[in-house]
Amino acid sequence: MPKTQAAHDAEASSHLDLMIEMTSDFAQSHDVEATLRLGLERVAARLGAEAASLFLLEADSGDLVCHASIGPTEVVGLRLAPGRGIVWRTVDLDLPQLVRDARLDPDFTNAVDDATGFVTRSILCAPMSFRGQKLGAIELFNKRGGNAFTQTDAQLLRALSMSSALALINTRLVAGMAEQEAFKRELVLASEIQRAMLPPPQPPHSPVHGVNLPARGVSGDFYEILPLADGRVAFAIGDVSGKGMNASLLMTKTASLFRCLAKREDGPGRILTAIDSELHETGLAGMFVTMVAGILDPATGRTVLANAGHEPPLLRRRDGFHAIDDGMPPLGISPDLFAGGCPESVIDLDGGALYLFTDGLTEVRAADGVMLGSDGAKSLLDAFAAMPAQERLAAVVRSLDGVGSLRDDVTLMVIEDTRLAPTGAFERSYAARPETLADIRSAVARVSHELGCPPDMAQDMVMAVDEACQNIIRHAYRGGEGDIVLHLDREDDLLVIRLMDFAPPVEVAKIRPRSLDDVRPGGLGTHLMRSVMDQVDFLPPPAGIGNLLQMVKRISR
Amino acid sequence: MNIQTREIDGTMALALSGDVDLSHSPALRKALMELMLERRAVVVDLSAVTYVDSSGIAGLVEAYQMARKNGTAFTLAAISDPVRRVLQLARLDRVFTIVDTVEAAVKG
Repeated sequence: MPKTQAAHDAEASSHLDLMIEMTSDFAQSHDVEATLRLGLERVAARLGAEAASLFLLEADSGDLVCHASIGPTEVVGLRLAPGRGIVWRTVDLDLPQLVRDARLDPDFTNAVDDATGFVTRSILCAPMSFRGQKLGAIELFNKRGGNAFTQTDAQLLRALSMSSALALINTRLVAGMAEQEAFKRELVLASEIQRAMLPPPQPPHSPVHGVNLPARGVSGDFYEILPLADGRVAFAIGDVSGKGMNASLLMTKTASLFRCLAKREDGPGRILTAIDSELHETGLAGMFVTMVAGILDPATGRTVLANAGHEPPLLRRRDGFHAIDDGMPPLGISPDLFAGGCPESVIDLDGGALYLFTDGLTEVRAADGVMLGSDGAKSLLDAFAAMPAQERLAAVVRSLDGVGSLRDDVTLMVIEDTRLAPTGAFERSYAARPETLADIRSAVARVSHELGCPPDMAQDMVMAVDEACQNIIRHAYRGGEGDIVLHLDREDDLLVIRLMDFAPPVEVAKIRPRSLDDVRPGGLGTHLMRSVMDQVDFLPPPAGIGNLLQMVKRISR
Repeated sequence: MNIQTREIDGTMALALSGDVDLSHSPALRKALMELMLERRAVVVDLSAVTYVDSSGIAGLVEAYQMARKNGTAFTLAAISDPVRRVLQLARLDRVFTIVDTVEAAVKG
């Protein structure tokens, strides 16, 4: 008997209610299994099924596995390998299967009935799929009241199973995102632990300094600075092959081993040999470590180095750069490699500076894709040579960030001969106001005299600093409040003056010396500075500094 | 910086002393501009100037340009070594009229 329109509407609307309820279950619950079971219960009740099962495709095995079941027999965990059967036919065809009498369907397998005593009469099975993505199927058994399932039941089950599929896809996506979030948090935590393990910034007079800039969250680079009881300083730099958590753990282990062994073993060769042996104790799974270890005696400038597969350190002396090229293969390759020990190089710093770095320095690429290379690294180190060690390292690394995109971690260390360090260095902060210029001038006059400048030169230095300070007051701070840090130092026969401010960076192009044929007031200061100094340059300022102006003049004897 | 002004035979003589830097150059500029607006002949005695910066020089250049427009005399006299050094570096020693004494400027 045909139903009335009102009955159709009532049925459709109550089916809609069911779909809304199920979607809401999925959205609110984090327990997918429980939600699927609840959904299956609602569907079985609505369609009047005596029993119901929900099967999901298992990605690894390709089997259909029962995740929820309603009715007199419990079949959760039942596996259906690909093949025949009503459920597989439903999934393969991606269409609802209505079986009015199971005994007449050739695909019906009565294994479950035989095992449980349940008697299957009619079956309605609909695929859980969405836009071709197959997730599984919902299977209903025996309509209550004795009749078979109808085409209307089939349409409703298809709609419900499709929305279950969609809800399941969403739930899996959300779970995947949560997992990624958790992984990211783990990486952040690991990188915080690593950073906490790196040595703190060393005091300015320290002979060894280092800096590390991780390209991504977790670094495979490390460095260590370890003052020894006898006044010598042990140091190390290393790079662990690979990225991510495993590399990070190996890095942490190697760094800890160094800290422990440096106090015990005599000389960097023995330290590296001992670390190699310890690393082989616990498998490395194909990872290895490149590393340079060294010990400096600050009293003599004598440095002993050992190198296991790491970039050759560069010694910068008055006559140029020398690569310290001796070394062994990396640590962790094979236990017998270091059986005969590890050779050491002895270096006399002789007033120079020894640079250790990871390949992140030489392999950084400029916008044109060309690697910085060893020569590029040398010219960077030259460019910032006049700066104090810690600022210098920061400036080199910062300028790399400007050169190109950092793909790898960068770690840079310097070991310096502090015996010849200038002692007359002067640094003081002044308010950036015209009234303080007189104080600044008298300080520059006094300090440049103390640093050995002849009187005429001292006067010129006073003028250059005064003009530079005027530029800071007028152009950088534009009359606003702020400080100027004045730094004077002598390096060999060079007087090095640095002025730092904390204003927004000045557009250097705008501070050009004026044309002298143009007799207008103003714009003269920069010309005066350039006239009396050998070099006037804006350097890439360290973090927290607005502008860093460096002026250099050779002191003639 | 200190400025002393006196009139000698119709010429205004400004005697500067001390450091002429950014904190004082606005006062120097104001003094010079007032005299330029009165179209006075001016001589600036720089013998006691211990330091002059680009902002002080800028005030002198501005006065020089106004005097040229007005057709009046503007002379620097008895320049001290620090002033000479800056004028030379700026190559303004060949722009200004520079004489040895204030008296020479007044007579000229």
